[in-house]
Amino acid sequence: MKRQGIIIGVLQVVTLVAFFMLWEWAAVARAVDPIFIGQPTRIFDFLYESIFVTGSLFKDTAWTLGETAVAFVLGSATGIAFGLLFVVWPPVERFFNPLFAGLNALPRIALAPLFLLWFGLGAPSKIALGFSLTFFIVLSSTVAGARSVDPDWLILSRMLGASRAAMFWKVTLVSAVPTIFSGLRLGLIYALLGVIGGEIIAGRHGLGQQLTYLAGTFNTNGVFAVLFFLSILGVTLTWVMGGIENYLLRWR
Amino acid sequence: MSTITVRNVTHVFPGGVLAVSDATIEIRAGEFVSIVGPSGCGKTTVLNLVAGLVDLQQGKIDVAGKPPRAGRGDVAYMLARDCLFPWRTALANVMLGGEYRGVPKSDREARARLFLNKVGLSGFEHSYPKALSHGMRQRVALARTFSLHSPVLLMDEPFGALDAQTKLQLEDVLLDLWTAEQRTVAFITHDLNEAVTLSDRVIVMSARPGRILADIPIDLPRPRSVRALQKDARYHEIYAEVWSWLEQSLLQAHMI
Ligand SMILES: Nc1ncnc2c1ncn2[C@@H]1O[C@H](COP(=O)(O)OP(=O)(O)O)[C@@H](O)[C@H]1O
Ligand SMILES: [Mg+2]
Repeated sequence: MKRQGIIIGVLQVVTLVAFFMLWEWAAVARAVDPIFIGQPTRIFDFLYESIFVTGSLFKDTAWTLGETAVAFVLGSATGIAFGLLFVVWPPVERFFNPLFAGLNALPRIALAPLFLLWFGLGAPSKIALGFSLTFFIVLSSTVAGARSVDPDWLILSRMLGASRAAMFWKVTLVSAVPTIFSGLRLGLIYALLGVIGGEIIAGRHGLGQQLTYLAGTFNTNGVFAVLFFLSILGVTLTWVMGGIENYLLRWR
Repeated sequence: MSTITVRNVTHVFPGGVLAVSDATIEIRAGEFVSIVGPSGCGKTTVLNLVAGLVDLQQGKIDVAGKPPRAGRGDVAYMLARDCLFPWRTALANVMLGGEYRGVPKSDREARARLFLNKVGLSGFEHSYPKALSHGMRQRVALARTFSLHSPVLLMDEPFGALDAQTKLQLEDVLLDLWTAEQRTVAFITHDLNEAVTLSDRVIVMSARPGRILADIPIDLPRPRSVRALQKDARYHEIYAEVWSWLEQSLLQAHMI
């Protein structure tokens, strides 16, 4: 299987190089107007400049990541807290269910104008949007995880003399951690989505705002550069989460 | 004076399933008693009533002088599934009972190590369940069950999910532990060999609704060895007697 891996790797590199060469050619030969597709070498120049020369990309990245982090932490903490409350005390879930179902069904980006009105152009409106996405994802994974606890584990714990609190913290909650984590992984990506979306709609800082600005000035190379950068950012975030998860869940 | 007394117990599940009918069982202190019977005859129900996991409806149950209650310290419980927590090492799994009961860490750890050693798992203290075979996992469960100071053990087909050879090994481990510790054991099984090998008495239940059909003393000398018994004439005689009762019960239920 190692040989297959090498072949696939080589094919991937060849395809990628061919793709970029075709792209470059199309732009240089004006087969397609570069205003629409940019030009790979210039995209690279833009990335290089804004990372290593002016460092302007870092400032926007710091804003976006900061907002994402706050949205993610608040959203997942509240999501986990509500999820556990729902599991421990089902009437609370019945009470909140219609409200949450309605909110969750709402395309969240539609809330952006309202959040701008409430929280202004700055970071809080972006955080609110990220939060509104992360919260529901983490909430539902927490509930699903805690509900799927193996009943035999609880019976055994009862026979071993566990208090109800011990059963909750040491069995129900711990057994839900893998499911909660898959929610957190998704929740992080959605926090980023909410924040970027908010920045695109209106804002003064951040990668989303950069995208709007670059597109508005027809700087297609810049747009592509930011998109590449965002994709790398997303992959890195997922990778870091995966690392934490693998460490915490090394018993799996 | 019996340690476990089940007197005229009848149990009906919601929906009207009569699971146990007028069952009476007495188990003396230090006695190892197996309960056999066709699948679905109410063995688990009887055990769960004694464990206090199912509420008593009719009749009387007394465990060490008290009514049953789940979680009392003097009763341990073991299932066919090992029920190990996958996020805990073997050692931490054995320590679970002590942890729930607030036993100081050094005490419960020492005891857990001792019992892991007794079931032949020294060196696996820090292994996670995923790294252990079925047999090893059930050994950990045995250690967890015995490491509590509980004089009463309730076991519901604890080796029911193991292959034949692993089962023989674990029966030996159980015999050794029981001989050293003298606990009172109620042991459910559908395996007659196992019942005869391990027990002082075998109780045969009828098909549902479970009644007590026969109560057969196993007068094989102790200490016993699983392997030696396979060649013992008396063992096969007793086996034949227990089988004839079970056969009757199965025929009644049109299960054979
Ligand atoms: N919680 C329950 N609700 C309804 N019926 C049950 C329940 N538990 C067991 N039964 C029924 O009671 C009978 C006895 O079950 P059980 O005690 O588990 O039998 P055994 O352990 O001998 O196989 C079976 O017919 C089973 O279907
Ligand atoms: Mg059963």
